[in-house]
Formats: sequence, structure tokens, C-alpha cells
Amino acid sequence: MGCDGGCTVRICQGTGCVSAGSRKLTEALQTEIDARGLDDVEIKRTGCHGFCERGPIVVTDPDGIFYSAVQPDDAPDVADALADEGRVERLLYRDPTSDEPIPHYDDIPFYKGQQQLILRNCGIIDPENIDEAIDREAYQALQKAFASMSPEDVIEEVTESGLRGRGGAGFPTGVKWGFARKAEGDEKYVICNADEGDPGAFMDRSILEADPHAVIEGMAIAAYAIGAHQGYIYVRAEYPLAVERLRIALRQARERGFLGDNILGGDFKFDIRIFEGAGAFVCGEETALIKSIEGHRGMPDPRPPFPANSGLWGKPTNINNVKSYATVPAILRKGADWYSAIGTENSKGTAVFSVTGKVLNSGLIEVPMGTTLADIIYEIGGGIPGNKKFKAVQIGGPSGGCLPAGMLNTPVDFDSLTDAGAMMGSGGMVVMDEDTCAVDLARYFLDFTQKESCGKCAPCRLGTKDLLDRLTKISAGIGTVDDLDELEALAKSVKVGSLCGLGQTAPNPVLTTLRYFRDEYEEHLRMKRCRAAACAGLVSAPCKHSCPAGIDVPRYVRLVAAGKYADALAVVRERIPFPSVCGLVCFHPCEAKCRRALIDDAISIRALKRTAAEHDDGRWKEGARTEPSTGKRVAIVGSGPAGLTAGYYLARKGHDVTAFEEFPDPGGMMRYGIPDYRLPKDVLTDEIDEITNAGVKVETQRKVQSTQELFEAGFDAVFLSLGAHRGVHLGIEGEEEVGVLDCIDFLRRVKLGFEVDLGERVAVIGGGNSAIDAARTALRLAGGADPSAPDPDQPVLDASRTAKRLGAQKVTILYRRTRGEMPADEEEVRAAMEEGIDMEFLTMPTRIATENGDIRIDCTRMQLGEFDASGRRRPQPIPDSEFSMYFDRIISAIGETPDIPEGFQLATTKWNTLQPDPLTLETEQAGVYAGGDVASGPASVIEAIAAGRRAAGSIDRYLGGDGDIGETLIDPSIDYPFETEEGERPRIPVPTRTLDERVSGFREVELGYSDEDAQREALRCLNCDLEED
Amino acid sequence: MASHTLESVFASFAGKPREIVPLLQAVQRQEGYLPEDAIHEVADFTRTSPSWVFGVATFYSQFYLTPQGRQRVQVCRGTACHVRGGGRVLVEAKKQLGLDEGETSDDDEYTLETVACIGACALAPCMTVNDEVHGHLNSAKVSAILSEHGSDENGV
Repeated sequence: MGCDGGCTVRICQGTGCVSAGSRKLTEALQTEIDARGLDDVEIKRTGCHGFCERGPIVVTDPDGIFYSAVQPDDAPDVADALADEGRVERLLYRDPTSDEPIPHYDDIPFYKGQQQLILRNCGIIDPENIDEAIDREAYQALQKAFASMSPEDVIEEVTESGLRGRGGAGFPTGVKWGFARKAEGDEKYVICNADEGDPGAFMDRSILEADPHAVIEGMAIAAYAIGAHQGYIYVRAEYPLAVERLRIALRQARERGFLGDNILGGDFKFDIRIFEGAGAFVCGEETALIKSIEGHRGMPDPRPPFPANSGLWGKPTNINNVKSYATVPAILRKGADWYSAIGTENSKGTAVFSVTGKVLNSGLIEVPMGTTLADIIYEIGGGIPGNKKFKAVQIGGPSGGCLPAGMLNTPVDFDSLTDAGAMMGSGGMVVMDEDTCAVDLARYFLDFTQKESCGKCAPCRLGTKDLLDRLTKISAGIGTVDDLDELEALAKSVKVGSLCGLGQTAPNPVLTTLRYFRDEYEEHLRMKRCRAAACAGLVSAPCKHSCPAGIDVPRYVRLVAAGKYADALAVVRERIPFPSVCGLVCFHPCEAKCRRALIDDAISIRALKRTAAEHDDGRWKEGARTEPSTGKRVAIVGSGPAGLTAGYYLARKGHDVTAFEEFPDPGGMMRYGIPDYRLPKDVLTDEIDEITNAGVKVETQRKVQSTQELFEAGFDAVFLSLGAHRGVHLGIEGEEEVGVLDCIDFLRRVKLGFEVDLGERVAVIGGGNSAIDAARTALRLAGGADPSAPDPDQPVLDASRTAKRLGAQKVTILYRRTRGEMPADEEEVRAAMEEGIDMEFLTMPTRIATENGDIRIDCTRMQLGEFDASGRRRPQPIPDSEFSMYFDRIISAIGETPDIPEGFQLATTKWNTLQPDPLTLETEQAGVYAGGDVASGPASVIEAIAAGRRAAGSIDRYLGGDGDIGETLIDPSIDYPFETEEGERPRIPVPTRTLDERVSGFREVELGYSDEDAQREALRCLNCDLEED
Repeated sequence: MASHTLESVFASFAGKPREIVPLLQAVQRQEGYLPEDAIHEVADFTRTSPSWVFGVATFYSQFYLTPQGRQRVQVCRGTACHVRGGGRVLVEAKKQLGLDEGETSDDDEYTLETVACIGACALAPCMTVNDEVHGHLNSAKVSAILSEHGSDENGV
């Protein structure tokens, strides 16, 4: 029997858990407990446990076992576990990375990093039972104050503690009380501001619901200190549960003599009324709140006079936030010194935040002041879900600021946050990932503040409206970059000119996003692009908007759904000349933004493109037009995706195009970088043939040394699309002597059919896509596959090589950060791991040497430290952690840069890239354009294609054309809209070869959908582009 | 002075101006909204002017001057919901109910509203139907919830 001596089951009854079904669960569990005759088990209905995301939360004591997301159906198992001293494994919290269960409340990272002082009773006591609060020291501080402290002593103690107001501004609470104490007046009032109107914040609600007596006691102490006899709690009407719990708590407090005419049997009288707000954000401002209680429209008054002198009905009034009052009893009980030892120099104690948004563990937390944002978001909050990148955190709601990744190391305290342009505010912390747009966020907040502006003063009434209008325009890409300066100036005027806190802080989201994300504002205006695919004014379907080449994704997906594959291909071909290549290897930014992922999974867009491309019947060519010859000649340097795309569209525009290629075959990285198991050679060759058929001439094995030679040869314009083919050196001792293989060089040699001797143990250093490609290629060579074999399904095996290597090879990737920070595509990393490639994370090679015929890599073990500007944790060496690993061959894959002949005489960046105008791709030389990896650094096929399109338009204009490279390859009226079926249906997995087949050769890993599956998958599309709104 | 129906509401108030907000809340709790007559009656009862009471009634978002649907659907537009796709929830609710924000259906069955934040941010995106919170929503769930409510009403 597990409950000898009694067990308690604490079930959360906070708003979050109630809406997740905790009341039904409580009933069901009580029934099960009764049915088993478990007399020693008591169910306790508690307030919020904080971990609202995982509700309903159940904790069983005395062991402190934590169960989450417990449903009524789970009640029998929980009751059985209580009877048998067991645990319900499936309901335990699991570590998100290791999936290991963490049974104990105190061990769960969400709780481990917290210090609960204000929240100490939350989730522990039944808030509707005053005895439980009293057992946990409630009202002891009030008794202490009455018994042994004068009002002045109380004020001094609170002042000494360093407590600053938790409502947001951080004014010293004791000092405020001192003003109200000194103010002359026959009547004085104490008000608790529980008008928690910040969207994204629910700390005050949870405290009122979970531990109302702490607030009541704090108010009674304040009343004693300033000499008030009447108090008000101004609480949002949207918080019915908090109001209900407060009513119960007030009644019980009166019954016990903690409120009323003779508190604690003495002659001090004080009572509290609840005033339910009626829905006005501005009432969080103290003078507006007072107006509201008086029965008026809640419009603020200028200060001074401050409420301490002239507040409610003109009488001295002390107003504090819920959390400030809830802190006071602990300060009196334990002393000012105890409290001031917590926190930082100027911000004492703890801070309560509701951490929400794109964070794994949403909920209510409490940490010492000075804890960094990174610790809150990553340690307690568990980081960002779904492999997305952290973008920003909004602190302080609409009054606060939006801080980027580079600020993650900021300590959370009043002054640091203000310096950063944000504010503590009431404690809402909303985490955002790459799917949130900075401009849209500012627009969202201004939409809110504009609606909530009470209209009393012109700067706020007109200013917030004007700001909103401007932001709405920018979010739709209307305007010029100069408008941003005006926006900033206006925001500053509103800040300075407004009467109350609402208007004074409303511009903060604009100013901080302008400060930290100005490039995104500019991108909306210059490029008409919203990288988060969030701004409704620019984006109809996020997939289409996030495709660098702007392919009409939803339309071709619908055509696939209708089985009109060749028509679908024509739609794809209207934007790119490499549909098959992209169908196989595109990193599909479209899928990352697909709205279907909000329901279950993104549509498998890339695989559908492949299906379309497999059904090519040449129909698209009927729509393709080549304009009459212009007589102009264009030279393309480098025949990768950027160069050939530009060449294709320029040829269509009637120009005479020649592409110069250094290597034996055209295709650039598509041919020499991407291994055959991802992109078979024939597929590429076929698509390049269509480009040459369109008129592009390719001169291979011809290295261009200067732009001058091209102009001298009679070309009118030049497009530089050289790619980035030079490997970056490791820069460590022994690298040269041992002969480290460069990754790009290695992949190219394999493609060219040269023999590469790898030995049995291969190390690949790096964490990007090239590293994965190199590792998977190395693994396949071990299997004896010959990549140059004519038929990839019948690899010609080199017998001796096979014998030597078969089954003996081991490929290890060494990466200095962890898997989470790897820049390689997640699906590539997963495939590599499936195939048996080892990954040594947090490993930094420091020296390479030969030892008894082996290559020894000396490494240092790393740990993740502070965040860098990209939002990734910087790896730092762990002292004395050196170790060695032994290999036969080392491949370096830590990055590539362009290799630009000096004869080009073009300025380069520190990454050796060219820097053309991002909009036109013009370089500083007239008639010379540049794009693709040579300008962006190593990127993707689709981004290179997009650059090629951009260059083609610019060059055509330069040569006297209209720059319009758009093609209509299929009648625009052909479309087959459908009603998406309701409910969830996850994506259909794309079939792959078996593992054995995969690693034994270079045959394509992915097999593509059957037609039937492709149609079923396409029918999952939500048709976002057809939505009317 | 008070009409028959509001007498019981006024009974627990003293008729002071400071009671205007709670009075209007009480009237609305009974009537479902604030009829024009009620504005006048509250003004008379508190010895203030109809313009004062009307001013208060139109200042706070909680008060309605027109009848509301029996089922009040409130879609949260709080920040946490916004960044977790609350916009899609609203689009789906509009589509399912055939209503725009602030509209009530002709049969007075549904009112669709947006609210600034219902404080259930950890469950974002969320909405309430007659104060019952539905969390972790997506368009499929919204359509299921709203069609379920609809079928209850129609006895299907």
C-alpha cells in the first residue's frame, strides 16, 4: 500500500488546467479513489502550478510525482498507481531531447531553475480553504506588524528591502507608502491594481486564483502602514475565476478577523471591496483606474498630484500591483535583509513572468532578478519548438519592447530592460520565432494601443492612429525607406507628448523593432518581401511568398490534386527552369511556412513538384516563346543554377547568351557538389539540355580571368555566377602535413570518377549540408559503390576496393556545437544518422598529427555558453577536456567561399563574396552583374535560381528590354479549387530505399510518391491563396 | 422610477454615481445587453445624466448596446495567440459562423467577437464559447468546436 500515512493528490484548478479539463478529471479521480476504498488518499484542488501548457497538472505527494496532460480517462490508472505505489509511466513528463521520463516535480527543468517566493503557495494550497494558507504562514506578517511594529517601522522595513513596484515602472514601494502615510487626509485608500490588461500576461490572474490571501494580507499591511480603512481590488472582468476565489477568500478572512472592524481583536479596521473592471486597457494606469472606480469613463489625469496625495475621491491613495502586495508578507516575516539578498544591486527580489508564445514550456515562472533572458527562455522555457529559430522576445506587452537574439544574455532587471528599450512591464514575456514578422508585430501592438487609447490627449489619440496607418502601409510594402525616419520621429513625439503611460509607452514596440529589425522594415519596402510570410498586405499564400523564385505553389499543388501533372509542371516552369532538380533537392522554404503545419504537418510540397516533373509531356513548351534576336550578347561566368537560369531567361528575351564553365560539364554545385544519391546526373543533364535548346551556349573547361576579356570579345553584359567552391581551411596545426581533404574538392573528385582513398575510418569536420553530403558519400564509397558507373542501379564494383573496405568503414562527423545548432537540413541529418554515421558533438579539433600510421585528431570538449547575435549558443572549450581520436582520413567541411580571379577587379567582403545591389544585382562595373553563392555565400539551389531570375530582368533592362521575364506556359484560367477535407490528416511519408540499398551505392535514396499518394497528399492543401479576407 | 424589470437589479445598490459601472454590469447580466431605456433608468437612479451613463457604457468594451447572440464566441487576439497563429483561428471562426467581428447572426444564435486577451496564454491560440475556454486551437479544431455547438442547438 503506497499511501501509508496518507497521500495527497494535488490537481490544478487554474484557468489553464480547468479549460484543459481538470474539473472533470477531479471528479473522475475521486470516483476511482472511492471505488478502490483508498481512504488515505486526499484530493486537493490547488491553484496554478505554472506549467499551464501541460495541463491538467496532477502532483501526488508525499513523493512529488508530476503528471501532465492528465485526462479523465487516465483516472483509473492514476488511482491504481496510488494503490500500488506505482507510477503511470505514460503520464510522466519526458525530457524533450532524450525522451527520458522525469518523475519528480523538483527535477523538471521548468521548475528546477525557478525560485518561488511570490508563487510559493501556488499549486500547493487549496485557495478556497484559508486554513491551508494559514498552515503556510498566511497572516503571520500582519500579526507581527500589529504586535511589534509601528506603521513607520513597516514602511521602513519595506523600503529597506528594496522592493520596487511590480506593476512595471519599478517605483520603490516603501517610498510610495511613505508618501501616502505623510499625506494629510481623514480618509485614505489602498487599491490593488489587478487590471492585468497586457495581452500575453496572466501572472496576476494566477496569483489571485492560487493564493488570494497573500494579496489580501499585503493590502492589510499597507492599510496599517498608511492609515487606510478601505481597500479596493480592481480586477479585470475577464477573470471570473479570480473574482470568485477573491470573494471566498475575503469572506474567510473576515470570518477569521483578518479583515473587518476589529482586526486581530484590536481596534484597527480595514476591509476590501472588489471592483470588476469593464474592459479598458487604459485603466491599468492608476489615475484612469481611480476614475473608473469613481463611476466615470476611465480616462487618466495629469500627475502631479499623485494618488498618494490626491487619489480616490481626492483622498490619499496607495496603489500597488498584485505581485507587490503579495511580496510584502514575506518581507515582514523574514526581514528586509533576507529579501534584499535576492536579486541584483538595484532590482531586489524575484520577478514573475508569464512565458508564452513560441516556447516549449509555456507558463508562469518566478526567477531571481538578474536571471538572463536566455536562462528563462531556454533553461526554464525549454527553448523554441519545432526546430525553428528564435527571433525575438517581447517583454512588457504593448508598452514594452522587442529584443532580438543578440540581447538574450541581458539580465532581467528593471534597469537592464529599460536600457535595452524594453521594460519589465507587468511581466508578460512573449517568445517569437522566425515565423513572426517584426513589422507585423509592431503593427499588431499599435492596432491594440490605438483601439485602447482613451482619446483624451491628442498625441496618443492621433499619434497611435497615424503610427498604425504607417505600419499598415509598410507591412503591405507601400512606401520608401525614407518613410522609416518619419515613422521613428513620430514614434518619439508620441512618447514625449502623451499624457499617461499608455501613450508614453505605446511607441516602444515600434522603436525597438526599428532599432533591432530595421532590415526587415527595409525588406518590406525595397523587396516587397516579408521573410516571416506573415504580413497580410504582401502575402496571400505563405508557401508562394516564401519561395525565393515565387513559384505559384498552391496552384500547382491543386493541379497535382486533380491529376493534371503536366499542367502542374507548366506552372512550376513559369518560374524556374529546374523543376526536377528542385523536386529532388530543394530545401523547401515553402514547407517551413506552410499553414497546414498549424493543424498537423506541412504539405510535402517538394515531393509533389517531383511528381509533376516526372510527368513531363513537353506541354509547357507550347507556351514558351523566344523573342526575336536583339543582337546583344551576354556572357555568363559559371554555369550553376544562377548562371543557367539567367541564361535561360535572357535567351528567351532574344539575347545571345554564352555560359563559360571551368569544369568539364555544366551545372556547378548541382553537378559537382550534390551527390548522385540525392540528384542523379541524368536528371540534371536533361534539364540543362532544355536550357541549351532554348539557345544558351555553354563553353566548358574555360576559366574566365577578367570581365575585361569578355567585353573585348564583344559581349554587352556579364553575369558573374561563379558560386562558392573554395573550402575554408581549419586553421589548426598539422592540417597541411596530414593532407586534410577539402569537402568540395572531395565531392567533385568523386563526381568526376577519380579514385579517392579514404581508408577505413573517416572524420568529417563541420555541421553544414556539405559535411553531411561528404559523410554520406564517404559511407557509400566504403560500400564499394562506383559513382561513375553508367547505371546507378547496377554499380560496377571495384573488387579490390570492395574487399578492402566493405563493412569496415566508419564515418564520424565532428561538430563543435550540438545537433540543435547544426546548419544542415534536419532531414539530411536524420538520414545520415539512420545510415549509421556517428556524430561527435561539442567537439573542437585543435591539432592534427600522424601517429603509427594513423591520423590523430586532438580535440577539446566544448560546452555551450552565451548566445551570439544569430541566437545560437557560442561553444566554449571546457578546461582540461582534451582527448584524441584516430582516423585514416579527414575531410574538412567548415564552409566554402567564392574563388574570384583578381582580374575581375571587384570589391569583396570579408567572406570574399561580391556585393552587388540586392535589388538589381548590379556591381560597381557597368554592365556587370553578380548573383548566387558568389554574392550570398553558400546558399541553396532555389536561392541561386531566384538570383538568376533577378539578374536576367536587370540585364535585359540594361540591354534595352523591358526586363519582364515572366512566362505564361499554361492558360491562367486552368485551376481546380477544392474544399479541403475537415479534420487532421498527417502528411504521407515519401518512400525511400531500404537502408541496405542506400548505403551500398549511389542510387537515389528518395523514391517519390505514387500518383495516387501524390494526389492524396495534395488534397491536404488549405488553398490559402483563394481565401477571401 | 425604475421600470419593473430593473427594480430587482437596483435593489442592492444605493444609487450613487460611483455605482454606475457595477450597475451597468448588473443590468447587462440580466438583460444580455444595455437597452436604451436602461441607460436612462440608471441615470435617473444615480441622479446623473444619460450622457454620463452613455459615456461610461460606450467607454468600456464589456458593455453592449445591442442584443448579443445566445452563444458568444470570443476569439483571443492576445500576443501569445497572435504569434501562435491566432489569426487563422479568427479566419476559421468567421468562415464557420458566416459572421464578421462584432456581428450577431440573424437568428440571435451567435455573436462573434475578438478580445484583447483572455489570459490563457499558455494554451494559445484560444477562444471562448460562452466563457468556456478552448485552447491549443487550429482551424480543424475550431470547425469541430463550432459545428458541435451548432448541432447541440439544432438537436442533431
